[in-house]
Amino acid sequence: MAESEEEVDVLVQRVVKDITNAFKRNPNIDEIGVIPCPEARYNRSPIVLVENKLGVESWCVKFLLPYVHNKLLLYRQRKHWLERDALVDITCTVLLLNPDFTTAWNVRKELLQCGVLNPEKDLYLGKLALTKFPKSPETWIHRRWVLQQILHQFSAVDVKQPHQGEAEQADAERGQELSEHLARTLHQEMKVCSEAACRYPSNYNAWSHRIWVLQHLAKGNVKVFHDELSSMRLWVSMHVSDHSGFHYRQFLLKELITELWQAPAGTTTASSQHQSSTGSSSSPLHQSHSQANGESPGAEAAAEEERQLSFSTLIQLFYAEMELCSDLIQSFPGHETLWSHRRNVFYLWQNLRREPHQCSSNGGVESVHLSDSDPVLPEVEAQSAAGQKEAVNGQRNEPMEVDGASLPHPRDSKRLKRGVPLPAPPALPSEYSFVNSILDRCTNPDQRRFALAYKKWLDTVIGQQP
Amino acid sequence: MGTQVKDVIIKPDAPSALLLDKHADYIAAYGSKKDDYEYTLSEYLRMSGIYWGLTVMDLMGQLPRMSRQEIIDFIKACQHECGGISASIGHDPHLLYTLSAVQILCLYDSVDTIDVDKVVDYVKGLQQEDGSFAGDKWGEIDTRFSFCAVATLALLGKMNTVNVDRAVQFVLSCMNFDGGFGCRPGSESHAGQIYCCTGFLALTGQLHQVNADLLGWWLCERQLPSGGLNGRPEKLPDVCYSWWVLASLKIIGRIHWIDKAKLRTFILACQDEETGGFADRPGDMVDPFHTLFGVAGLSLLGDEQIKPVNPVLCMPEDVLQRVGLQVDLLS
Ligand SMILES: [Zn+2]
Repeated sequence: MAESEEEVDVLVQRVVKDITNAFKRNPNIDEIGVIPCPEARYNRSPIVLVENKLGVESWCVKFLLPYVHNKLLLYRQRKHWLERDALVDITCTVLLLNPDFTTAWNVRKELLQCGVLNPEKDLYLGKLALTKFPKSPETWIHRRWVLQQILHQFSAVDVKQPHQGEAEQADAERGQELSEHLARTLHQEMKVCSEAACRYPSNYNAWSHRIWVLQHLAKGNVKVFHDELSSMRLWVSMHVSDHSGFHYRQFLLKELITELWQAPAGTTTASSQHQSSTGSSSSPLHQSHSQANGESPGAEAAAEEERQLSFSTLIQLFYAEMELCSDLIQSFPGHETLWSHRRNVFYLWQNLRREPHQCSSNGGVESVHLSDSDPVLPEVEAQSAAGQKEAVNGQRNEPMEVDGASLPHPRDSKRLKRGVPLPAPPALPSEYSFVNSILDRCTNPDQRRFALAYKKWLDTVIGQQP
Repeated sequence: MGTQVKDVIIKPDAPSALLLDKHADYIAAYGSKKDDYEYTLSEYLRMSGIYWGLTVMDLMGQLPRMSRQEIIDFIKACQHECGGISASIGHDPHLLYTLSAVQILCLYDSVDTIDVDKVVDYVKGLQQEDGSFAGDKWGEIDTRFSFCAVATLALLGKMNTVNVDRAVQFVLSCMNFDGGFGCRPGSESHAGQIYCCTGFLALTGQLHQVNADLLGWWLCERQLPSGGLNGRPEKLPDVCYSWWVLASLKIIGRIHWIDKAKLRTFILACQDEETGGFADRPGDMVDPFHTLFGVAGLSLLGDEQIKPVNPVLCMPEDVLQRVGLQVDLLS
């Protein structure tokens, strides 16, 4: 084992080189790890590459990390010069071992800004670090910074469009290219988040990153939100304790309310057309397109139709979500996460019913006010044992009173569904009967505790809403 | 399918008395016997580590045991040209460590040893158009940084140098329907973020904007049968989350809503009788971070062997009196 300073020096430089070469030899490395191995084996590198997994033998980590760490700090204090290539290698080694070392990520940001590194390379390094440290806050923070850089490149091209002749043609191609690039990036981010979510339960950083990515790379993209909602369905069913995963669904539902229901009709129409034709788009591009399309003749009638479709879509989404939640609560008794999800979804639904949507009165997209401040609308009708049709009727009454002109008539919704009645959306009476049925049958003490808490919540939070 | 409520079982022989002397010895010796590797691993948060150690020593009346001058010199060496302070020498400045440094200097009543005007400029420069604060020049946004910014300025008596109204608007935009707060608009409620946001609203005099009953409800549901508190549904109880939840409850005037005796039992069970210090859960390895939050939690629960702690800044009340900072809480 290495003892003297010189020996450590030689050893570490060799290991850093071995790591760099491993990445050159196999650009598809997809996981990193430390191999338990207390003793060095002579004439053998402590860097092991098996298939696509890169391993570092544990004995060398305690030499390796302090050495590269200190070298980087000396560079930062301008006490020791490092060439750019050396900086790239050293920060890579440091961050794979200690990804919360903020300053090392910052060095890479600077390398990226002067073109020594490219964004994809750093997203890849972060992805690898997350295979061993799926929570690492600094790795997620760096990812968001890199994604911002990619977005800036993108919007720079979008703004430059001169709209004339050949230049336009060239730019359109470039725009298409970038749009595809962005779609790939979005897809890759979702994958990175899913992996980290599987490696660590209720991974707050992974899920809040996923939300950030949608807010920045897919803002207003109804198709993406829909796809996410359906693709996460199986995942949450297999992770019934993962509060963050369920919160993500609540976020998606809330966004879909905003997009389908509360956004100005023009934007919604234009955006869904845009999405269905290209599959996906970014916010910068997307925004300008929708504005350009806003004034077409007949837009009003189309918008109205769109609105009605949106409304029945929302009813179906909420119905399906409550069904899923009921199934999971019954199949996996005693999970606080599931009961918490039920509160959230039901509250969202209640809020949607009570909230006058903002589309006709102002041009901007109003966010849904989910805070507790002054609920404005009429009381929830407590019809006893609402059957499907009654529930649909109950659904109709509230919003109609608030802003009759801009809400779809239920008969129209039914017409749109070609006579097929809409499913019953959640309602207070049906919630009470759901809880009571659980309490009647279930002997699991935790399940009973959560059911009683839900009932109390219905009584106090929902029942006392003005 | 059986139920598996995620919780710990407190063994009958778990510590049930407060071992203050052991904890003071543990903190006093911490750092002197650490190897290169461990030191390196956590150097990126060194300044906060020092704040944890010094604050818990002060709460136990043992601050004089720490090397005051060495620490002040260290902080001076960590202030950068831009005014911000870094976690350690050679690291980059950040709001997190700027707050920790200012907190330490308040404990030592020696804020003037650094360039205070520059610190204020640094914090000011990180505020964004929408009122939020970036953690450093690279622009990451988080409600934690909103808290760091106003806490730093409040301790320096310079709150009026930033746009407080906008800062408040941003924090309120991170409120969720359950009454809690997340790191950014749309993010999940989380006890650590709730602590930062209620603390922020206390410092800016805006606690009336919180739905205290609804939030209090959510916070109380963090208490598990063992008495310990978790940070989100179906997570394990943890001493640090116990502090964040408890402090938030204190800030919004609902601390009496939880079972204090049971929580005390849980926190005491997280002590290590041999080494001193507190762990996250009974039987785990101790560290200074959980030691501070264990002791601070017991102080909030009314233990009279410990100095009263301020729930917003996690500092001894007598220090804040000296600084002249009074934070109003909900009653
Ligand atoms: Zn903890």
